[in-house]
Amino acid sequence: KLGIVDLHPSIWQTSPRLDILYENIEWQKTYKKIDWAYTPPHHEYPSMRGKPWPQKGTGRARHKSKFDPQWKGGYKVHGPKGPTSFFYVLPKEKRVEGLCTALTVKLHQNDVHFVDSLDLPTHQPTYLQELAEDRFWGPSVLFVDDTDIMPHNIMFASAKTEGFTLMPVYGLNVYSILKHTTLVLTIRALNKIEKKLLHALHSCDNPKDQPAPPDEP
Amino acid sequence: MPIERGLQYLRQMQRVTLKNLPMPLEKTLKWQQAHPDETKIKAIMSRKGPISRSALPPYGIDPIQAEGRLPWILTVPKEPYYEGVEEARQYLPISLRTLQRLIDLRRINPEKPIDLPVLCNTKLFSIQPDQRQFGLQLTDEGADLFSTPINLEIQWVASELAIAAIERCGGVLTTRYFDPISLSALIDAKKFFERGEPIPRCDTPPINAVESYTDPKQRGYLANPDSIREERQRLAQKYGYKLPDPSKFSSLFRLKKDPRQIFYGLEPGWLVNLKDQTILKPTDAKFQTFYHS
Repeated sequence: KLGIVDLHPSIWQTSPRLDILYENIEWQKTYKKIDWAYTPPHHEYPSMRGKPWPQKGTGRARHKSKFDPQWKGGYKVHGPKGPTSFFYVLPKEKRVEGLCTALTVKLHQNDVHFVDSLDLPTHQPTYLQELAEDRFWGPSVLFVDDTDIMPHNIMFASAKTEGFTLMPVYGLNVYSILKHTTLVLTIRALNKIEKKLLHALHSCDNPKDQPAPPDEP
Repeated sequence: MPIERGLQYLRQMQRVTLKNLPMPLEKTLKWQQAHPDETKIKAIMSRKGPISRSALPPYGIDPIQAEGRLPWILTVPKEPYYEGVEEARQYLPISLRTLQRLIDLRRINPEKPIDLPVLCNTKLFSIQPDQRQFGLQLTDEGADLFSTPINLEIQWVASELAIAAIERCGGVLTTRYFDPISLSALIDAKKFFERGEPIPRCDTPPINAVESYTDPKQRGYLANPDSIREERQRLAQKYGYKLPDPSKFSSLFRLKKDPRQIFYGLEPGWLVNLKDQTILKPTDAKFQTFYHS
């Protein structure tokens, strides 16, 4: 243990709105969804030039064509037509609120750990696994760092173990936070997250009028 | 703070995972009403029904849900004058005139205290406890004729004239409450003793009756005796007669019952054996405390 970290209450002590978490997760699942189902309508079916058998004489029912909807292999009247997309954008406030509630949930259930940096002495995966076991970090751990480029050793170690993922700050999302049992943040990542989230929470400009958010910590 | 309570729950409950989240609530009725279905719109624009025939139900009722009829709650009529019928207490009337007549015909002895069983033994009154009847009440018909001093115990008095008529002759009136179990013992005392049950103790009156049974103007049995004496003086002054001396009368006259007692001379808890002409009394301490509490 190296010291005490100060956390901002607007992010780490909001009301635990599980319904907003649910909405965020639903959004993350469905905005990418495209339904490729397509049933060709009447005019895209072959026309067999009329009646399969004459109107009267045969003991069978009267029919006009072989591809009517009541037939097997016939067209569907109001079926799915073409690729339909389920894309929608959840309002920004809900997304921000979702991130804040996910972080509070993790904090208050003792699943967040803060770390100096993600440097390891060896690239052996056993070293990381034993470290996580000693510290009672759960089966799946999400390591969040400042930038995309991560140190070598942790890259090799987490690639070999199942359940350990590395993530930069811009990839942080509610689904990943809840999917992994523990969340491990570096101090630099913490600062960046807090700055961005606080800016998003307290700014009330329209997207057009908004100035660019601060990038560098 | 609601946030802190929510976080308290979080700390104690299981880990929040993708499978643990609650499903969203159904859309409220307000939203559904603002966005009607196709079927609803079709129903509104139909050629039949109360809307097209100008036969809408009263304001506040949805014509589509009502399906052309009034809802059941409006078809059943309201009878507000019958409110409280199940709790109302009934008292059968006995007038001063009948009392005087019974005394003159020697069916009642005025030298002994007149009680409910005494009046029921004349077989003029049929009191039914299951019909919410709680005894007898005194009416003031024949107040001028009344002229014998009696010790009367009645369940209800409606007018001051009746009380004044009895006290002018030198009598004593008390209003006394009997609960239905003790009533059934009093109405037909012989039948009750033949049953072989111990004498019940009388319950306290219900909450809406306590006020009248502690009122000295009603001469309640739970009222303060000093205030009763005051009220007697006041009534005498109001109606213009002189209160006779109470010391002339016999000791039998002045008998009064304990609030738990039903019969004169018999205590609650005692078992009367008519065949062997004996009375059995409980000796155990807990029975005695119960019956005399």
